[in-house]
Amino acid sequence: MTLFSLARKNIKGNFNNYFVYFVTLVFSMVIYYTFTSLQYSEKIQESIELSDTMSFMFGVSSIILILFVAIFILYSNSFFTRKRKKEVGLYAILGLRKKTIAKMLFYENLIMGIIAIVIGIILGTLLSKLFAMILIKLMGSIAEVDFGISILAITQTVIVFMVIILFTSVQGYRLIYRFTLIELFYDEKKGEQIPKVSLISAVIGVILLVVSYWLILKPFPDEFTTEYLMKNYGIAFVALVIGTHLFFRSVTVYLLRLSQKNKSRYYRGTRIIETSRLLFRIRGNARTFTVIALLSSATICFLGATYSGYYSNEKRAEEVVPFSYSHLSKGPEFDSQVERIIKADHRHPIKAQLDIPVIQVKGILSFQLDYDINPVQLISESTFNKAANALNKDETVLLSRNQAAVIQPRFTEYTKSVFKGENITIQLPQGSSELPFVHMVESNVLPFDYPDFFLVVSNEMFAEIAKKEAPLTYKVYEVENEVTAQATSKKVNKLVGNDFQVSSSFYTEYKQGKEGNAITLFIFGFLGLVFLAASGSIIYFKQLTEANEAKGQYEILRKIGVNKKDIRKSIKRQSLFVFGLPLTVGILHSCVALYFTSNFISNLIGINLIFPILMAIVFFVIIYAVYYVLTVNTYNRIVNK
Amino acid sequence: MKTIIEAKQIKKVYGAKGNVFSALEDIDLTVMEGEFVGIMGPSGAGKSTLLNILATIDEPTAGDIVVDGINLTKMNEEQLSAFRRDKLGFLFQDYNLLDTLTVKENIILPLALAKLNVKELERRADEVADKFGIRDILNKYPYQISGGQKQRTAASRAIISKPNLILADEPTGALDSKSATDLLESLKDLNEQDKATILMVTHDAYAASYCNRVLFIKDGKIFTELVKGKRSRKEFFNKVLDVLSALGGGANDVI
Ligand SMILES: Nc1ncnc2c1ncn2[C@@H]1O[C@H](COP(=O)(O)OP(=O)(O)OP(=O)(O)O)[C@@H](O)[C@H]1O
Ligand SMILES: [Mg+2]
Repeated sequence: MTLFSLARKNIKGNFNNYFVYFVTLVFSMVIYYTFTSLQYSEKIQESIELSDTMSFMFGVSSIILILFVAIFILYSNSFFTRKRKKEVGLYAILGLRKKTIAKMLFYENLIMGIIAIVIGIILGTLLSKLFAMILIKLMGSIAEVDFGISILAITQTVIVFMVIILFTSVQGYRLIYRFTLIELFYDEKKGEQIPKVSLISAVIGVILLVVSYWLILKPFPDEFTTEYLMKNYGIAFVALVIGTHLFFRSVTVYLLRLSQKNKSRYYRGTRIIETSRLLFRIRGNARTFTVIALLSSATICFLGATYSGYYSNEKRAEEVVPFSYSHLSKGPEFDSQVERIIKADHRHPIKAQLDIPVIQVKGILSFQLDYDINPVQLISESTFNKAANALNKDETVLLSRNQAAVIQPRFTEYTKSVFKGENITIQLPQGSSELPFVHMVESNVLPFDYPDFFLVVSNEMFAEIAKKEAPLTYKVYEVENEVTAQATSKKVNKLVGNDFQVSSSFYTEYKQGKEGNAITLFIFGFLGLVFLAASGSIIYFKQLTEANEAKGQYEILRKIGVNKKDIRKSIKRQSLFVFGLPLTVGILHSCVALYFTSNFISNLIGINLIFPILMAIVFFVIIYAVYYVLTVNTYNRIVNK
Repeated sequence: MKTIIEAKQIKKVYGAKGNVFSALEDIDLTVMEGEFVGIMGPSGAGKSTLLNILATIDEPTAGDIVVDGINLTKMNEEQLSAFRRDKLGFLFQDYNLLDTLTVKENIILPLALAKLNVKELERRADEVADKFGIRDILNKYPYQISGGQKQRTAASRAIISKPNLILADEPTGALDSKSATDLLESLKDLNEQDKATILMVTHDAYAASYCNRVLFIKDGKIFTELVKGKRSRKEFFNKVLDVLSALGGGANDVI
């Protein structure tokens, strides 16, 4: 019998044991291949060439993905090897030469890897098409992403995985040389020794976590360089990883030890079994917990960012272009032409239609403001209220004769207190008049056009000024279902031209934002889903492997009189701990990270992202809960037949 | 005196169609309260199988078993678990200790499951640990102790809840003669003082000589039965040896 065939027999003989490892390999390859084939599709190559941020994002994402895939495979490989040390020891005792065993392990891993690559690429090709279609549908993008069989993607996948597989194969080859026979036989037991409570590592862990949180939450410096990014967040990331690991390693031991102290609780029912099982596996678990916590926070971040992008686009479009259509009146003929076009669209009937007269004047503020205010645009109180009402905004302004309310300039974060007690002097041909600020409202009613400084003034004041300075009139329309008004918007835009810096129709602004974001969102969404699947499956497989190992132990419990119901309860409690702890830490991490990103994004677009982030967390927790139920059921089926 | 075990026509067949193996054939067995019964026979005779069936860990292919007035074949899973937990002490041939628990935790497990209060639980743990001389290893884990220590731990666990029925599968197999005698003495104490009924499988004629009665099993059937009666232990021991040599194969097992 040749070595090669011995290795093949090995795999065939215990395929079940190899299954988990193999699934991991295939899974990683499918994910990686899908990503690379996306990367090499024409559309995306175009955008990569066009934009620096795009190529940066793809670069970073593919590094994250390679890292993730490599860690994932190495992790499951070491897990798999550990379980097989005994078998290897047995071969040695049966008299196989070390070299023979080493070669056998090498070939075995290589064969599995190569088969996994083939299957991974086939599945990846099928799945990527489906995946792309789903995500594109979700984002409502018209951008066609062409997935085909890409030679470049295949080559890259094969290269990356051959490197990883060769590495693990060499590890396998060295296994028999690295350990003595007795170590091979007793490893399982030795690896599971109960760690002592180490105060030092607990303290270091907490300090590292605090440092990394601090680094992440630190306000941005004035100058924002790549070097700063790398240094600050690189250190933060490393501290986070190590801190999390130490945290799990020491704090969980501490918690479990503490619960053991209370004897009357500990020695009651099946608690003694759960606690000791968890404690027994703490070393292995600490590693898994760290991976899960980090993966979940990455998942939540990616999903949060995706949903935030999606969510903020609509908000942003609404803020920048409040009405469905707006244009400057250019005489009755032109105006009615526009009106006809809008009225002709029966699928989007008009909900509100009004005129907004605006007077442009010169003004001087009573204080220093870091914003170019001239020309100041005046709107009358009643017009503003009517328009706000038409947009379903519950903002009304009530002013007496010479009072004024400022509308927060868009893309700024001035608060009420900035204007409080101050006033503005308006210069008119017949002299100037001083208007005190009494109020600030947040939503504007006209499309954005720099400088974006609007004042609402009382009706009398407006009428008085209008006598000297003829107002411009804007015509605005609000229609039903504006997010789909594609055709009409196109016609209106063409006719109106550039009245504002932004588009004159809501739909166009909304659509442009969406398309600009589509690929970014696609990547975020993709990575989010990958990590979601990965964290769930790691924990699921880990629990299942454990279940298979613990089968005998549960059988003993049944023999000494624990009934099935109690065993099920005990499994539930254990799994709750295993799932709950890393989830909690992961959510905490992601909140910090998202606080940072949302600050970043809010600064750019001025939108509060609490809602989309909360939604992402809720979504993640729900999926995670499904994994929990699945795990408990399967675990129970394995040990509690 | 009351009958504690009444087994009728027990059959146990392993394997599926075509490849069946009959481990027990029509075994009838009656054990009275307070008896100390030994079960002997060559390896593979079906002793463990019988004990497992009586312990409700295994199900007979056919036959009826009544323990303490309760028909075991008619009970559901939950009732059987409660029966094992509350009434039974089982000393397994392969110890069946839980790897994740310390020796002490292994021993008190039945009491913890029965939710006994901690004080009483600690007291009893000390008591059995002293009885079997395993005080020093109470805080060790099963993988850190020797085979004999494991056996004594398993014995402690089996008797800690003072069960009225103790089933022991080769309880002295891994023990030196001193520890074996200690264990047998404490079983005898339980039998005599606490009126516990004991069924013990053994290959060792010396251990068997502690019993009131010894059943010999061969090829899944009861071969013969030996009652101690008024005989001294020494005499009974020699009697057992005689039967073993008549049985054949069993003699090798005698030390
Ligand atoms: N699960 C099983 N499946 C098939 N055959 C079994 C099974 N368990 C036991 N047997 C067979 O039943 C017979 C009786 O086994 P048992 O374990 O009762 O023997 P024993 O008398 O306890 O032997 P020993 O003294 O070696 O412990 C043996 O021949 C054994 O091979
Ligand atoms: Mg046996």
